[in-house]
Amino acid sequence: MKKALKINPKDNTATALEDIEAGDSVKLASKSGPVGEIKAQQAVPFGHKLALANIGQGEKVLKYGEVIGLATQPINKGDYVHVHNVESALLPPPKEVKQWNF
Amino acid sequence: MEFLGYERPDGSVGVRNHVAVISSGRCANEMAATIADSVNGAMPVLHTHPCVRLKEDNEWALRTLAGLGSNPNVAAAIVVGVGCENPTPYQIGEEIAKSKKPVEVLTIMESKGFQNLMDRGLELIHEMISQACQMQRKPFPLSYLTLGVKCGGSSAVSGVASNSAGGQVFDRLIAEGGTAIFSETAEVIGATHLLAKRAVSKEVAMRLEEAVERMEAGIKATGVDIRGSQPTRGNIEGGLTTIEEKSLGALAKTGTAPLQGVLEYAEKPQSKGLFFMDGSAMTSELIAGEAAAGIQIHIYSTGGGLTSSFRCPAGWGGEIPILPQIAVVSTPSKPRDSQEKEFFDIYADTIVEGKETVDQVAERLFEEVIAVACGKLTKREMRSGYREPIVMYSTGPIL
Repeated sequence: MKKALKINPKDNTATALEDIEAGDSVKLASKSGPVGEIKAQQAVPFGHKLALANIGQGEKVLKYGEVIGLATQPINKGDYVHVHNVESALLPPPKEVKQWNF
Repeated sequence: MEFLGYERPDGSVGVRNHVAVISSGRCANEMAATIADSVNGAMPVLHTHPCVRLKEDNEWALRTLAGLGSNPNVAAAIVVGVGCENPTPYQIGEEIAKSKKPVEVLTIMESKGFQNLMDRGLELIHEMISQACQMQRKPFPLSYLTLGVKCGGSSAVSGVASNSAGGQVFDRLIAEGGTAIFSETAEVIGATHLLAKRAVSKEVAMRLEEAVERMEAGIKATGVDIRGSQPTRGNIEGGLTTIEEKSLGALAKTGTAPLQGVLEYAEKPQSKGLFFMDGSAMTSELIAGEAAAGIQIHIYSTGGGLTSSFRCPAGWGGEIPILPQIAVVSTPSKPRDSQEKEFFDIYADTIVEGKETVDQVAERLFEEVIAVACGKLTKREMRSGYREPIVMYSTGPIL
């Protein structure tokens, strides 16, 4: 079983505590202890984020209980959440971001 | 809750009982070090401030050195200089004297020569240490503690691991009536609105926004637009998606308490609770500013990777000799060997491994803060030998 951390109860994302593969079952922990499980639909590298709920295009992406950006396309529960489907609500990302391969 | 500390004449409480030998300028570093090294129990305060800086930078230096001498961890101080420095050794001594602790000023000009100064310095340091070593620790409530924090070597999980645990420690100390200071103005860019929401008044929120705008304008003046470069490529590779996420991760170390005020660099807080200090993210400068503002213990909250593969605070951690620094690491370099155990005080990688919760690590860190306040030496304090001079904060041109 893989592990991810949901740092605030309000969050709709969790941080992967190890590399997660598509199809993996992921155990979720809060600050205080286990808070359930989720199935990863996509691969999520260590330190990156996993969607804990369906997030519609333009909807808020939450971590630390706060808005970290808006979804630029629909995100499904269990999907990988990063620069390909989220953008800052404050600042455009670096222009080069599309050319970078991650 | 209580800790055992040293009561100072100004009502503050030290967690260490150092007799400091403070160099007033770069030229005096060797004299200060030689006097301090001649005896057991003295601590040299060495730094990089030269005499080719202008008004504002000299004022920062005065405030920093006077603040370090006035810090509750210092029982008594000798300021050593040539006599021609700016700030002068006398100015520094006068400021420290306001804290009512014993302070002496020695200059080559007044001593009529180097050897006279060294002889008198040795005489004074013996007297001061004889006095200081007879002081006893007494119990005080945690409200007498002021913590500082800095994060460094950020990793993919430092926001949710060490920073979150550190934030909980801040919250607990503030709930006990204590004080906590954080800084790094550049890191607030992207989360200014969130921090401003925590401000106790409109005025505090405005001062915060002004500090961030000033920092951004300063960066722009060099031809760089920080907006459009954040998060960095390395941040994005590590999993940080937006500037908001990066700044929130940095702010996680501040906990959730209301923001009581915005301090200038090295300015002392006038009340209890959480304070933001305007300043750069450069570790040595930042921690010196927090120490000058009176923090007794510093928490260095780190990520991992390469920066965790060598002794943490000696070089990149920014060593402030009068200040115990508790180093926390989220993801130590692997494999962790026995030698690495001496690098950090708190290993928070148990969060990543699923062996401990954030709450449990925060509890361990809080206990460590109290233990260090009562006299437990940090990993850095246990090391001898190499010594890092303090890098002095500066904003202006150098002559």
